[in-house]
Amino acid sequence: MTETAISDDDFQRFREYFYRRSGIQFEPSKRYFVDKRLVDRIHATGSTGFRDYFAMLRFQASGAEWQALVNEMTVNETYFMREDYQFECLVQSILPELAARKRRGEPLRIWVMPSSSGEEAYTIAIYLLERWPQLADFDVEIVSSDIDTRILAQAQAGLYSQRAVQQLPAAWLQKYFKREDGGWRICQMLRDAVAFTRVNLNDPREVDAYRGFDVVFCRNLLIYFDDASRRQAAESFFDVLRPGGFICLGHSESMSRISSLFRVRKFPQAIVYQKPLEGL
Amino acid sequence: MKAVKHILVVDDAATVRMYHRTILEEAGYAVTEAANGVEALEKAAGAAFDLYLVDVNMPHMDGYAFLRALRGQDGPQVPAIMASTEAADSDCRRAFEAGANHYLVKPARPQQLARIVGLLLGERA
Repeated sequence: MTETAISDDDFQRFREYFYRRSGIQFEPSKRYFVDKRLVDRIHATGSTGFRDYFAMLRFQASGAEWQALVNEMTVNETYFMREDYQFECLVQSILPELAARKRRGEPLRIWVMPSSSGEEAYTIAIYLLERWPQLADFDVEIVSSDIDTRILAQAQAGLYSQRAVQQLPAAWLQKYFKREDGGWRICQMLRDAVAFTRVNLNDPREVDAYRGFDVVFCRNLLIYFDDASRRQAAESFFDVLRPGGFICLGHSESMSRISSLFRVRKFPQAIVYQKPLEGL
Repeated sequence: MKAVKHILVVDDAATVRMYHRTILEEAGYAVTEAANGVEALEKAAGAAFDLYLVDVNMPHMDGYAFLRALRGQDGPQVPAIMASTEAADSDCRRAFEAGANHYLVKPARPQQLARIVGLLLGERA
C-alpha cells in the first residue's frame, strides 16, 4: 500500500470542515491524532488519497462516512462515579430544590449529553434509586445522547470492564450488575431506565426537539469546542432547560467564562449553573 | 391549534403495526402503516412524515436498508426509531449506524414508546 500523507493544506481544509459540521475544533497540537485517524478512514474506504476521501465525505448523501469519521475522532473515556461530588449535589441539593417547585407525579427530566458509553447516565439512575427518597413521587426520565453511534450501542448494551466499575461501592456493583465473560453487565431495570439517542449538538435542527429538561449534565465536552461553538452550545442548553433548570459541567469547565445566560449556584457539594426562574 | 404529527409505522407483522398504531393514536398522532421497506419508501416519497418507527427484520427490504435509503434521500432530519426483538449489541449498533435516532427492543411498553416518540418530536416540553 502506498504511503498516504496529509499535507498542511489538507489538514487546514479538513479542520475547518470538521469544525463547521461538528463544532469540534482540533488544535494544531492534535495534528498527529487527526492525521492518523484520517489515514485510517482513507484506507478503510478504499479512497486513493485525501482529495478523493474528502470529496466523498462532503458529498455522500447518506452521511454514513461522516458518521464513521466522527466515531473515530471523538474521545470516549469515562467510568462509573466519575466526579461523584456532582451526583451528590444532584440528590442532596438540585433535586430537592426542583421537587419543591413541582407537584407530585409531575415529570422530572434529566439529559446527559454527551452520553459516551453510558456510565454517567447509569450512575445518575443508581444515585436516584439509592440516594433520593422522593424518587417515587415524580415521573423521572433520563435521556442520554451522543453524536457517536458506536458508543451509543455500547451504552445501550451496558457491558463494562473492571476498570469502568472499580469506583462503584461493592454493594451497588452486586445489586445492579451481573458478572459476564466480557465484564459486568448492568441490569435490565437500569437499562430500561435510560433512553439513548443519537444527536449532534452542533445541528440546531436536531437539538430543537430537546426541550423541557430540568437538569443537563454536559461534562468534559465543551473543552473540545472553540469559543464560538461553546457559546452556541450554552444557548442550546438554555433552550433545552426549563426555567429554573440546572446544568452541570466538568470540573475544569466554567459557564461564567462562556455565557452570562446562567446564574452560578454554589451548593455545598459542587458549583452548578441555573437558568433563571424569572420571566416565566 | 397544533398540527397533528404524522408517523409511518413499518413492520411486516400486522399485529405489531396495530399495537404501535393504537399506542401512537392514543398519544394523539396520525399513523400510516407499511409492511416492508419497499412499501415504506414509496409512502415516504408521497408524504411528509414527522417520524419513522421501523422494524428491523422484514421481507423485500429490511429496516436497515430502508433507513439507509431514506437517509440517502432526506438526510438525517426526520427522526427514526428502529424496533427489534433482538437485544443483541450488534443489532443496536447497526441500527444507529443506519441512521436511527433510537433503538427500541420489542415489545415496547406503551409509556416507553409514547415517551421516546414525544422526545424525538420535541413534544416533551
